[in-house]
Amino acid sequence: MTTGWLLLMAGAALGLSLVAGARWARAWLALTVTGAAAGLGAALSVLLGGGDWEWRNDFPPGGEPLHLRLDGLSAVFLALVAIVGAAGAGYAREYWSERRYPASAPRGRIWWSVLLLSMGLVLTASNGLHFLMAWEIFALAGYFLITLDNQRSGVRTAGWLYLAASHAGTMVLFAFFAALAARTGGWDLGPVRDQANLAPLFWLALFGFGVKAGFFPLHIWLPSAHANAPSHVSAIMSGVAIKLGVYGILRFSGWLPVPAAAGWVVTGLGAASALLGITFALAQNDFKRLLAYCSVENIGIILIGTGAALLAVTHGGALWGRLALAGALLHVWNHGAFKSLLFFGAGSVLHATGTREMSRLGGLWRAMPWTAGLFAFGSIAVAGLPPLNGFVSEWLVYLGLFDAVTGKGASAWAAAVIPAAILLAAAGAMAVAAFVKAGAMIFLGAPRTPSAEHAHECGPRMLGPMLALAGVCVAIGLAPVLFWPAVTRAVTAWRPAWAAADTTAPLAALGAVQVTLALLFVAAVVILNYTISADQRRRGPTWDCGHALPTARMQYTSASFAAIPAGWFHWILLPERKTRKPRGLFPADSLRLERVPETVLERVIGPLGAAIMLASATVLRLQHGRLQFYILYVLAGLVALGFLVLLGGAP
Amino acid sequence: MIPISDFILRLGWWLLLAPLLPGIINKVKAWVAGRRGPPVLQLYHDLAKLWRKGVVLSTLASPGFVIAPAVAWAALAGAALLTPLGPLGGCLSFRGDVLLLIYLLALARFCTAWAAMETGSAFEGMGAAREVSYAVLTEAAIIAAVLSLSVQTSSVTLVTMLSPSAGAGAALLAAGLFTVLLAENCRVPFDDPNTHLELTMIHEAMILDHSGPPLAAILHGASLKLLLFSVLLVQAVLPMGQLSPPAAAGALAAGVLIVTVGVGLVESLLARLAFRRVPLLLTTAFLLCVFALLVAWKEGAK
Amino acid sequence: MSGSLNLLIGLVIGLNLLALGSSRLPALIRAMSLQGVVLGMTPLLMEYERLDWRLVLVALATMAGKGLLIPSLLRRAMRAANIEREIEPFIGFVPSLLLGAGGTIAALALARALPLLPEHTGTLLVPGAIASMFTGFILLIGRAKAISQVCGYLILENGIYLFGLLLIHSTPLLVESGILLDVTVGVFIIGIIVDRIQRAFDTLDTRKLTTLRE
Repeated sequence: MTTGWLLLMAGAALGLSLVAGARWARAWLALTVTGAAAGLGAALSVLLGGGDWEWRNDFPPGGEPLHLRLDGLSAVFLALVAIVGAAGAGYAREYWSERRYPASAPRGRIWWSVLLLSMGLVLTASNGLHFLMAWEIFALAGYFLITLDNQRSGVRTAGWLYLAASHAGTMVLFAFFAALAARTGGWDLGPVRDQANLAPLFWLALFGFGVKAGFFPLHIWLPSAHANAPSHVSAIMSGVAIKLGVYGILRFSGWLPVPAAAGWVVTGLGAASALLGITFALAQNDFKRLLAYCSVENIGIILIGTGAALLAVTHGGALWGRLALAGALLHVWNHGAFKSLLFFGAGSVLHATGTREMSRLGGLWRAMPWTAGLFAFGSIAVAGLPPLNGFVSEWLVYLGLFDAVTGKGASAWAAAVIPAAILLAAAGAMAVAAFVKAGAMIFLGAPRTPSAEHAHECGPRMLGPMLALAGVCVAIGLAPVLFWPAVTRAVTAWRPAWAAADTTAPLAALGAVQVTLALLFVAAVVILNYTISADQRRRGPTWDCGHALPTARMQYTSASFAAIPAGWFHWILLPERKTRKPRGLFPADSLRLERVPETVLERVIGPLGAAIMLASATVLRLQHGRLQFYILYVLAGLVALGFLVLLGGAP
Repeated sequence: MIPISDFILRLGWWLLLAPLLPGIINKVKAWVAGRRGPPVLQLYHDLAKLWRKGVVLSTLASPGFVIAPAVAWAALAGAALLTPLGPLGGCLSFRGDVLLLIYLLALARFCTAWAAMETGSAFEGMGAAREVSYAVLTEAAIIAAVLSLSVQTSSVTLVTMLSPSAGAGAALLAAGLFTVLLAENCRVPFDDPNTHLELTMIHEAMILDHSGPPLAAILHGASLKLLLFSVLLVQAVLPMGQLSPPAAAGALAAGVLIVTVGVGLVESLLARLAFRRVPLLLTTAFLLCVFALLVAWKEGAK
Repeated sequence: MSGSLNLLIGLVIGLNLLALGSSRLPALIRAMSLQGVVLGMTPLLMEYERLDWRLVLVALATMAGKGLLIPSLLRRAMRAANIEREIEPFIGFVPSLLLGAGGTIAALALARALPLLPEHTGTLLVPGAIASMFTGFILLIGRAKAISQVCGYLILENGIYLFGLLLIHSTPLLVESGILLDVTVGVFIIGIIVDRIQRAFDTLDTRKLTTLRE
């Protein structure tokens, strides 16, 4: 009962914030945070023991009676929406303030509320038609938020690409829901695990939701959209919106039967996304694109866990399937938290310096110590390093994979899990590399250009949400036991048959060890600092091997840092290079530009599109503008019909 | 959990024994080259000297320059405490601790690379870039090795994993893990710990600008890492579980000594590989571990 | 009754051929208007027994519209646009005539193959309709001047009207009147457009109006 009231309050608050967003920014913030808190409360009430919530009403929007449902699985995602939604709303107050963006700030506020409302509707809709309606509104809200700064052509292009890709996915989702309605006899959604003819529909759902989730190779819209959007929008898109794609895949693989090959395919896609995503991230010079590709990697990790769970369903391994899926769901939360934190930090840098190019930054730690510290914190979390939360969810996924391989004797199917584990490890190491690069290029060393020299720290209204998200990371990292019941509820909601399986992951031990490690680290830092007493500490310029006039441009650049792995993967990165060497005896102007394109978009879909346009242009010759020929075409068609009738085609 | 006294003894053992290994390696190299070489306890003297010294920080370095070595050292100490010492077991043991160990090593690497980039020097950038890039391949190799041990013993806990069966799998695993040891600890043929030419440095480049107590922490951490890998290698290859505790302890000590001497011999007899050949050797190590995994898989299938 | 109906439709078919063969615009307009008058009389003939005042009204309106109003609109457009009275065809006059005759024969054959109601099988309604539509198409395709194409369109419209007579019992008269109004207004507008085209491009030759392709 409370769940229903809390959801109603959330909906009402967000609805009011829609109205308030046009003029009253403070009221909007208050209403949005209230709505988000109510949503979080509703999610927690389901996750921490209350039963599933369901509500039906005969009022038919679009011809179908209302049917809303909040169970463990949707509650997990609802909690994430609430937290990141509230944090982003707070962040946007200063980042996209009325003063700097008078025209687009009200629009941004209104569409933010629409986005949160539509995401809540997607999560609670239990009728196919309403799901689609909410999904479409959610996609449109994303488009309008991405293109808030529509004066720049890069932003507009990114928005179009997002919209096109989103609608390609929605088209497939239309097919999925229509086929589902046709085969089950109605638009109402619910568990129908016994109808075997529904299994092939999983592929449609995988494609349709996969475009939104952004795994390789359906991620083509992700980098440009998340890089060009305002940073708080990138945060909620990367942290929450793509998780709704994961929600769709999980929801319908839970309610419908899945084909036997599903586990393999999803695990394979996850492993490929993980490795290729982080490779592309490492090769980027734009830090927001780097973060966007890193989201592709993390979706890959989530899919590895999901795929392992699907394999467990097919091959009867409830224990390790639970572990893998629990790891995936916890990673949904973790990634939402630390990716949003990283995007907020990136937004802070962008706000201060005005550029996204890492090779123009450097040495920002001095002017922006809080942002630097929080970005380093987020880097440790995203690389999955102890004692933070990224490690906990990857650890759970690894445990699931290891148990799959070692349990019940070696079966052929388990051999598919081994490459996933190896690729996960390699992706983890590359994530370390990518975030050392990102953190070092932006914050460490000396400023490479004047825009980096004149940076300033962001205000407390931008730091506050970042600190809150960092707190979430620390909480999940140091006390994962507290979050285990919620995650287990979601796993049970996905597959009720697994409810009886007992947990075999010693989260309490891990949590204790992480706390100990954290204390150990703090102690080590304090001791080392104390040992170097103040008068023994001298400052001097960095040794430069005898250069007479070293410049800040002589530091290692972001492309150089990534050169070795980028070289290994050049067959898929396909970088474009432009070099202009200096001529003559004395130092002169020279140029070296390197750009890593989005390979699937620019090297596969682009040429395919060009070929289609070429074929269309050839057909275009039929359209020459001469009216007589057009009427001749019509007549020819009629005559052909007449012949058909004459030759006995008529009944 | 174990009592506090045991914990302190264990910690002392690790911390005090670790600096011995580089000394042994240097002695072996000197002996092969016909020199007398530095004393075996040289690193102890160096660490004590460094601890008393002051620190020179670059004007560009942030507080992270001192924080990072501390966190790296603590991570390595934590990893060392997790490693089981033959019959004595580990300080703490729970399911999945092997993954914590691997990721603590990754944390140490992250911190060292971060500290390297602090000074804004291109040398350290070069070293850090190389280090984190080759780590991708070594991580894949380590996970493959862990998987093969896990498949052999059907467990994910270090204490139970490190009791292998002898056979072709053990030999392959030994070769693979030894190569990984050389790579992770920056020994020839991957990296020369004595060089300071920018074209050839990896680890040395990363610690170029450190001095005083942070440098002591880094050097000690490196020796801890070497000891950790040697202990893991010996336990992964020798069937310790079948020996009585004193014999097992003796076997462990002897094994670590043999590994250390082996590293010294490899360093004396091989030259550093050209950088473009390093990925090839790392891939070979990875494949050795994968073959060990396949052997374990096949035996498990029987 | 059927005989006189066939006679009228035979007249319509004859006028088709006349329209195809005429080389001057006024003759074409006259043929088309006469066709319209004849067609206006047809429903009166078909519904001889049960004549309704509404039916008579619509028939008279058709005759007036197609026979007087539309031709006058066209002639006015012709005069205002100051076009020459000759027509330069794509499809020459003799080929058009032969095509029209061939089409009429094909229409007769086709009508035999269609499943018609017994009361319509003996009449020339369906063949006449198909033949008129075909004639209208030939004029639309074969002629270059805009006004000739309008006449072709009106003959096509006559053919469709003939088809509609098959349904005279069920088609509400309102629909018929609506169609008539549509056609009249259409021609009125075309008259204006023809004037504009002439003023803008100094020619009504549609061969020259091909820029708007996409």
